[in-house]
Amino acid sequence: MNVTGNELAGQKVRIYPVTRIQGRADIEVLFDPHHNVAEARFRALDYRGTDRMAVGMPAQRVPQVLSTACGVCGPFHKLASCMAVESACGTRVPAAAGTLRELICWLLLASSHLATITYCALPDFALPTSDAAVKNVTGIYMVDQEFVSRLSHAMTAIYDTLDIIAGNRFRIPVILPGGVSRLPAPSEIETASALLASCEDELRETVRLAEMLTRRESRMMETGTPLPGSYMCSVTDGLAALLGTEVATAPFAGGEPRALSFDEFLSSLVEEEIDWTFVKPLTVDGFDCQLVGPLARVNMGFGEDTPLAAMERARLLEQWEHPLDSEFFFLMSLALEAVWAWEKAKRLLSSISYDGECWTSLAPAAGAGRAVIDSPRGLLVHQVELDALGAVSDYRVCSPLQFNYKTLNEHLTSVAARTVGGIDIGESAAARLQMAVRSFSPCVPCGTH
Amino acid sequence: MYVSTVALGACGGCEASLLAAGEPLVSLLSEHDIGFSSLLVDRRSITPSDVVLMSGCVRNAEELRLAEEVARTSRKIVAVGTCAVYGGVAGLRRLEIERSQDEDVLPRVFAEARPLDQVMSVEMYVPGCPPPTGILFETVKALMEGVQPLRHDATVCSECDRRVARRGPARAVSSSSGPASGEGVCLLNESLLCLGPVTRGGCNASCPSVGTVCSGCRGPSDAVLSSQLHSLYSDMVSCVARTTGARRDKVAAQVEGMLDVVYTYTACDPVAMFKVRGKVPRG
Ligand code: SF4
Ligand code: SF4
Ligand code: SF4
Repeated sequence: MNVTGNELAGQKVRIYPVTRIQGRADIEVLFDPHHNVAEARFRALDYRGTDRMAVGMPAQRVPQVLSTACGVCGPFHKLASCMAVESACGTRVPAAAGTLRELICWLLLASSHLATITYCALPDFALPTSDAAVKNVTGIYMVDQEFVSRLSHAMTAIYDTLDIIAGNRFRIPVILPGGVSRLPAPSEIETASALLASCEDELRETVRLAEMLTRRESRMMETGTPLPGSYMCSVTDGLAALLGTEVATAPFAGGEPRALSFDEFLSSLVEEEIDWTFVKPLTVDGFDCQLVGPLARVNMGFGEDTPLAAMERARLLEQWEHPLDSEFFFLMSLALEAVWAWEKAKRLLSSISYDGECWTSLAPAAGAGRAVIDSPRGLLVHQVELDALGAVSDYRVCSPLQFNYKTLNEHLTSVAARTVGGIDIGESAAARLQMAVRSFSPCVPCGTH
Repeated sequence: MYVSTVALGACGGCEASLLAAGEPLVSLLSEHDIGFSSLLVDRRSITPSDVVLMSGCVRNAEELRLAEEVARTSRKIVAVGTCAVYGGVAGLRRLEIERSQDEDVLPRVFAEARPLDQVMSVEMYVPGCPPPTGILFETVKALMEGVQPLRHDATVCSECDRRVARRGPARAVSSSSGPASGEGVCLLNESLLCLGPVTRGGCNASCPSVGTVCSGCRGPSDAVLSSQLHSLYSDMVSCVARTTGARRDKVAAQVEGMLDVVYTYTACDPVAMFKVRGKVPRG
């Protein structure tokens, strides 16, 4: 195992690569002269720079390029980019387009979470003590073929729904600056509804399994200190939403959420540059470090329009008190959100129009625009400035990993301090550190966009 | 058989597309061995593999080192995705990193992205941004079963249901991203720059099927790659002129102003760029 590679006279150990995450990264554990852990760092080793590529491009072209910032959340980047360009041009998107876009977001959230559960999260919870040859999706398949098969059925049914509704599952060609290129036909809505209906049992079962594994995991392993700082997500009427109306944040230590208008939120963002990572961490001025993503949204709460998800959430909170403040709730929050997203998608699909206006042409002119949305891994901001010819003069992306970065590294340091004994980091300590990283669902390409 | 995956300068979309295959992929992998794959297994060293699915282009010093190590130890390298095959969107601009950088701390970022075959020999190419799940899975399956994967050598047009209309009054072709207005009519007839005629198929024309232009993410078709007399630019000009009835020289001048759109995914690929070098504006 390639965890050593000590540098600086044995005071730094590198774990490379961090596995079962999106993108390339390592963990560096730094020691003091007495070989006690001084700091642990999750470092992004990849730099994409799609926001820099956008500068100079005609506004309408930018969403296509920004959709390649990240492969998993690419459609969310594309949508946020469209929304930022539309807001800079003062374009109002027809209502039917807004509904279709939202439907696509829910489908993407569900499919992305099911893929993360299957390939990245489940091995840690289902096979915690197995070695590398087994602790992966094929190992789980050998132990419980039926379950992987059912999970896979739900995931592929939702991907197929996206192919029908959005053109394809990863670049979502139906979404364009100005709206959507077309609305689904009645026959497509019927097929999509049947596909979604076929997933219900699998999704319920996934929540049950996640609950059972979380209970077992929290008994088997040290659960550590609660997560530091506050959780934060986009909300509508105080409840978590993907395309919300404001941002809300609440401390893990307890206390009421505080709502921030998008303008207030954006004006309090502080970006830092650190020399050991390509990620530029973000903080919200006046607040401790933040956690965004599934656990934040589950803590903020779901509405009555998704009764199954609300009921499952309430049931889980009877066992573990609100707020859920440990990394061990990661798997459960993914499973809960998959149900939440599925219910939202089903509702929207049943009310979607297949007729009427769905696109408005843009009239690019000098101006600034922005979009604040929630994506599978958390809050996502796109901001654009256009010159008089409608070309991009500045572009900025704020991604989930940037928001989570301080919390992640603070938490990682505390896990390292408890689990690493001296500079010879063993297999199990390395596995434990990576599990801590995975519970933040870090996406490196997104983080360095 | 040992199969591995590596993502270099990649967004992760190619890997996500492969994983979207679900159970058939898991079942196939269970019958073989996963060598190294930071996405799937917790192994940390590069071990000899029979098949390596490599996505992303080479964009920094660490990626170059990794690519060379894999090339040294593995048998078949499959370039997965348009970044790996042609450089992809990373080739759109030279990247000048704005920060001072200590190369002992973080890998040096190259200004130019490089497709994989600029640094190693590649056995097979599966372009697409990302490649469709079905094509990726079928390729992996065929390689692991020791048979030749199916080639997709037709163009996007050949999979598209839109029909070429009788010639109307010739209008200037535009690179607007706007949607189709006419039901089922070829987007070139609507004066939109659809790259379907010069792009490799296999995606079931997924963009034109929902009324948006093909932006060429599967890269040049075989016809374009087949001879030095062809290029994305010249073939596109011929096709637009033929479809719209506009004069070729006029179309050529219009398309020349949109070369950055035509070469979105291939701007750093020497083969695709051979005929238009110097004409594609890059930052
Ligand atoms: S080809 Fe497209 S999907 Fe694949 S890594 Fe490159 S940008 Fe991402
Ligand atoms: S040019 Fe585009 S719209 Fe026309 S037939 Fe080809 S792929 Fe279809
Ligand atoms: S239609 Fe063109 S841009 Fe769309 S997926 Fe196919 S090759 Fe890619």
